[in-house]
Amino acid sequence: MIRALILLLFCTGAWAHQSSDAYLRYRVDGTNVEQRLDVALRDLDRDLGLDADGDGTLSWGEVRTRWGDVERLASNGVRFTVDGAACQPTGADTPQLDEHSDGMHAVLVTRWQCPAPAQALTIDYRLFAATDASHRALARIVGTAGEPLVLVPGAGPQTLSASGAGLAGFVVEGMAHIAAGLDHLLFLATLVLVAVWQRNGAGWAPRASGRSAFVETLKLVTAFTVAHSITLGLAAAGVIDPSTRWTESLIALTVLLAALDNIRPFMPGPRWAMVGLFGLVHGVGFAGPLKDLGLRGSELLLPLLGFNVGVELGQLAAVALLLPPALWLRGRTAYRRWIVPGASAAVAALATLWLAERSLALQLLP
Amino acid sequence: MRMRTLLALLLAAPLAVPAEPFTPKSDTETVQRLPYRMDAAERTRRAALVRDPAQLPLALAAARAALDRARVLGDPRELGAAQAALGPWWTLADAPPEAQLLRARVLQARHEFDTAQTQLRGLLARQDLAPELRAQALLDSAALHQLRAELSQARALCEQLQPLAPLPATACLAELDSLTGKAPAAAQALARLSPGRSVLPWLALMRAELAERMGDAAALGLYRQALAGADEVYTRAALADWLLAQGRHAEALALTAGSDADALLLRHVIALHRLGREAAAPTARLRDSLAAADKREPGKHAREQARFALDVANQPREALRLAQANWAMQREPADAVLLLRAAQAAGRDGETARRELARFVRAHGWQDARLAALDRSLNS
Repeated sequence: MIRALILLLFCTGAWAHQSSDAYLRYRVDGTNVEQRLDVALRDLDRDLGLDADGDGTLSWGEVRTRWGDVERLASNGVRFTVDGAACQPTGADTPQLDEHSDGMHAVLVTRWQCPAPAQALTIDYRLFAATDASHRALARIVGTAGEPLVLVPGAGPQTLSASGAGLAGFVVEGMAHIAAGLDHLLFLATLVLVAVWQRNGAGWAPRASGRSAFVETLKLVTAFTVAHSITLGLAAAGVIDPSTRWTESLIALTVLLAALDNIRPFMPGPRWAMVGLFGLVHGVGFAGPLKDLGLRGSELLLPLLGFNVGVELGQLAAVALLLPPALWLRGRTAYRRWIVPGASAAVAALATLWLAERSLALQLLP
Repeated sequence: MRMRTLLALLLAAPLAVPAEPFTPKSDTETVQRLPYRMDAAERTRRAALVRDPAQLPLALAAARAALDRARVLGDPRELGAAQAALGPWWTLADAPPEAQLLRARVLQARHEFDTAQTQLRGLLARQDLAPELRAQALLDSAALHQLRAELSQARALCEQLQPLAPLPATACLAELDSLTGKAPAAAQALARLSPGRSVLPWLALMRAELAERMGDAAALGLYRQALAGADEVYTRAALADWLLAQGRHAEALALTAGSDADALLLRHVIALHRLGREAAAPTARLRDSLAAADKREPGKHAREQARFALDVANQPREALRLAQANWAMQREPADAVLLLRAAQAAGRDGETARRELARFVRAHGWQDARLAALDRSLNS
């Protein structure tokens, strides 16, 4: 390659570590605004020369003693207005750090009093404009759905809207989440398949009335909903935080068990109890998108509600599609002999693959 | 399974505390490892540039230093730093030639090949260009053409280079010969350029890559020589690839340990997978990093993404799609090897890609032992 000749450059440069990102998070409460800026220590060192002893590492002392300079750099680099008017600083938190994917960041929390309730923030971002042209800030208002706003240093003021935060965005996210989650949908489908039947000793028998099948479905969906709402809330709030690998593996296991139970019932107790228990696992899985938003306490309420409503709507749509044919077919021989065992076996096979993949971190499926 | 067992399993799932901002307990606690130590000269230069960014010689030195670090560390932050140093001249059509040259290099490193080539063409059209800058621009432009397998254009530029800088020009022409059916003669020509014991690192790298294409085990020694002379991400990754291709996974693992550069992390993860070692954490880190890079510069990281899909994630169809996207962007021998491997892994889905690539390789007279080993019909 000729580029070997060129004494400068060309490691096919854009291999990436990671380009520099800062994170801006605003918490808006009427006329009070709290700004949290997370900025990489590496970037601060480049501009401020934090490494006082020049040993190639930053100690907490080296960072802490220069915190005043860090604050000055940040306040010159990030300015925001509400309705064209500046806000008055009312306080700042003590120096803190937080770990991000590209290393340790300084966390600068400042509080502001604005002349009017903040519907939207206009941010003029200039941090590192003169020293790193590829630096970006990802800004969001706590409680809003969707992707963060990407701020380009020195590109002029950009507006971050607090409205559109509302319920609707989270309902949509909840629906999208269930629509994209084949494992959740298959779990539901597996339940609906035999909701039109009832346990009869070691086997299943069709329910006599459509009404009783309907009530059973309602029971199952309610149990699932109540259970996953509990763990969704706990996980989103950060009270429980099991690893994704564990959660995803357990979800696959619930699908597998439900499918096997369809073929030959073996789970003890009423079905809604099993569904409730399994729902606890699925709830943790639902929490992923919400966890990243960094909401705390009461701020979680609305997004959680919206997201959960979205998940329920998605579920109901799936059940509404599946239940009528199941009701209609429930007494047929073909349904008993072929459809339920066949579909359940297929689901069980897929769930087994998922379980293996997820627990062993393999990639078996395309 | 009993309910109780299941419940126990559920509760056994590790309960971790979510990351929260914290204040370190002691001043002596290390909170961040820095990728490099800034020397006094660099500090002075930075301070001067902060006061007045429009000082050309200082800005050029800063941009060059940043590009050097990008090459050594594989860190894209440095490309942003180089661009920032060139800030006052970044959008100027008639920027000083040195600034234009460095601008083109930043663009090339970001895989903005067309823009980079346009800038270089504009630069070469300037009659008053100093000879050493013309030589650099010719070489850069030739490298861009070679990167896309436009070998006759590359040759024309290296011929113009001959009177200005005989050594790189000869090496360039030998390299181009080697790609067009004259590999053994080219290897000898390159060897003649470094008769003594000490070999320039770039020349060693060039010879190593040629030896690898010829299936010559001398590649190992040459790669090591290049690496000893200049420890750069590109060279280390190339050697790791050679080791992986030879099944020497443990050595590739050791070679790529402890680096933050994605190119090396990728080889490290591949080695871990091939050795059957635990790789969940680095794999997740790599996946995140590749996704972040793709978000920043969509489509520009297809080479690494394809490699990841093929050798780590075991997604041959996705690997083929990405390898094809990469082939549309850059066409070095290594890109052809990647595409052929992906096409073969994709089975029938890769049939068309395989045929098209074979046609391309034959039409251009490329010789590459790796391609021939994968597809015997490419044995020329």
